[in-house]
Amino acid sequence: MAELAPRGIAFEDVRHHFSVGGAAVPALGPVDLRIEPGELVTIAGPSGCGKTTLLRLLAGFLSPSEGEVTVGGRPVDGPAAERGVVFQQPTLFPWLSVRRNVELGPRLRGVDGPARRDAARRYLDLVGLAEFADHRPYELSGGMQQRCQIARVLANEPDIVLMDEPFGALDALTRERLQDELLAIWRSTGRTILFITHSVDEAVFLGSRVLVMSPRPGRIVLDERAVFTDHGERVPAEEIRALPEYVELREEVRRAIAA
Amino acid sequence: MALLEAASTTPAALRRGTTTDPRRAERAARRRTRLQRLAIHAGSLSVLLLGWWLVTRTGLVRPLYLPPPGDVWDAFVRANTDHPVSAGSERIVRGEQNYYLWEHLLASLQRIAIGVGGGVLLGVPLGLLMGTTWLGVVLEPYLNFLRSLPPLAYIGLLIVWFGIGDTSKIWLLFLAAFPPVAMATISGVRGVREDQVNAVRSLGASRRQTLTAVVLPATLPEVLTGIRVATGFAWTTVVAAEIANGIPGIGGLAYLAGEQLRTPLVIASILVIGLAAIALDLGLKSLEKSLVPWRGKA
Repeated sequence: MAELAPRGIAFEDVRHHFSVGGAAVPALGPVDLRIEPGELVTIAGPSGCGKTTLLRLLAGFLSPSEGEVTVGGRPVDGPAAERGVVFQQPTLFPWLSVRRNVELGPRLRGVDGPARRDAARRYLDLVGLAEFADHRPYELSGGMQQRCQIARVLANEPDIVLMDEPFGALDALTRERLQDELLAIWRSTGRTILFITHSVDEAVFLGSRVLVMSPRPGRIVLDERAVFTDHGERVPAEEIRALPEYVELREEVRRAIAA
Repeated sequence: MALLEAASTTPAALRRGTTTDPRRAERAARRRTRLQRLAIHAGSLSVLLLGWWLVTRTGLVRPLYLPPPGDVWDAFVRANTDHPVSAGSERIVRGEQNYYLWEHLLASLQRIAIGVGGGVLLGVPLGLLMGTTWLGVVLEPYLNFLRSLPPLAYIGLLIVWFGIGDTSKIWLLFLAAFPPVAMATISGVRGVREDQVNAVRSLGASRRQTLTAVVLPATLPEVLTGIRVATGFAWTTVVAAEIANGIPGIGGLAYLAGEQLRTPLVIASILVIGLAAIALDLGLKSLEKSLVPWRGKA
């Protein structure tokens, strides 16, 4: 196998079972997967196919039943600041203001006050929430809470950002705006992003690489490069979505999910 | 919410127009409902007092069983002043049993404060330990056992152990107050959302930081509820605590007055106990509101 870049991610023959009433129910695997730094990998698949399990294994919330998950050659052993997680539901802390939520990661790592506030301001600006820094999270709409969560993860400057259907619960307009913001952030920061979605269109539109998983136990049944993200800065989203290659890949992904 | 969303695009203009006015209107509406509620309470109270007065006035019930409101008021005033020991007597006595009524109340409040305070000091850390470690499995049955005992059942034992003085009373109030606090803390800790813990761990929090940054604040609402329950429970226990040698003490006074068939004083003491308990609970409730403004919203 090719030498993995320093912060690359590897799943090696990973399987995961959940025990339900004493019986082991296979949820995932076997999965073999390598992700290079700077990729924006989207994972699509039917619900219950183990996408979230895969993400949680990489986040360190779960340990694989078999096989190994490594980052930069080191096995994943619990959650860490290098792997930021954006949850499906905005998991903000209601006892902290929006600003203090975003500052939390740097604060936990002992970054001093001024630097912390700078980081918070920068990322709140980036997601368009600067005006709401002193609000409490529950005073924001769902879309704004989700943006705040994204700012909190980015302000902690993780090498890898794991996103679990982050836009799933949002209305179409907010969702498209956040997709654009995410692409802009990815281009400007060069982070590795693993993005889970149940939307075929979102997977194809966002991913620099699109994976499709089969129903349980989840395995990777399609792994395609996508280049549409690279056009983003020059070409409007509607035109990208009208490209024949785009339509073709979308159909391919759709077929893979249906199979 | 939609307004806030819109405000992100043209913040200043929209905010001026939308966030101050509704707030003022909301405050005015709240003031109106508060006045309405006050009127309802005042109305029901007057009906109750009138009914009470009528029942005693018509002679349907002997004053020993139910004295008229005026007698209760007199007993209340006597208990708060220096007065002749009986009509026409030269001897002046101080309040009841040589203490003014408020001194009786204060004595009970002090015991409750110490008992509940001790309950919080022990209950919260113990609840945290029980909620996060195997200690919970070991100790929970005992805690449940203690919680289900009526305090009257063990006051005798406490008197044997700690004497007839204040110590046994404070122990009783402590034993009444500490299980609800511990139970509430345990349920608070166990109710912390897994994803909130995962989120802070992914931000790089150590185990200790997870405890201080997430578990403690997330548990706070339940702890405060537990303290309210404990305080209420301590109040209901205060009479039991003060049955033996409970002077000064509002519970002791109520009990003693009953023994002496002085019904007006009994009723006056009961009213003071009830009103003090309600006032205390309102205070704790507003403390709760200012400490956990997110309660019920997130």
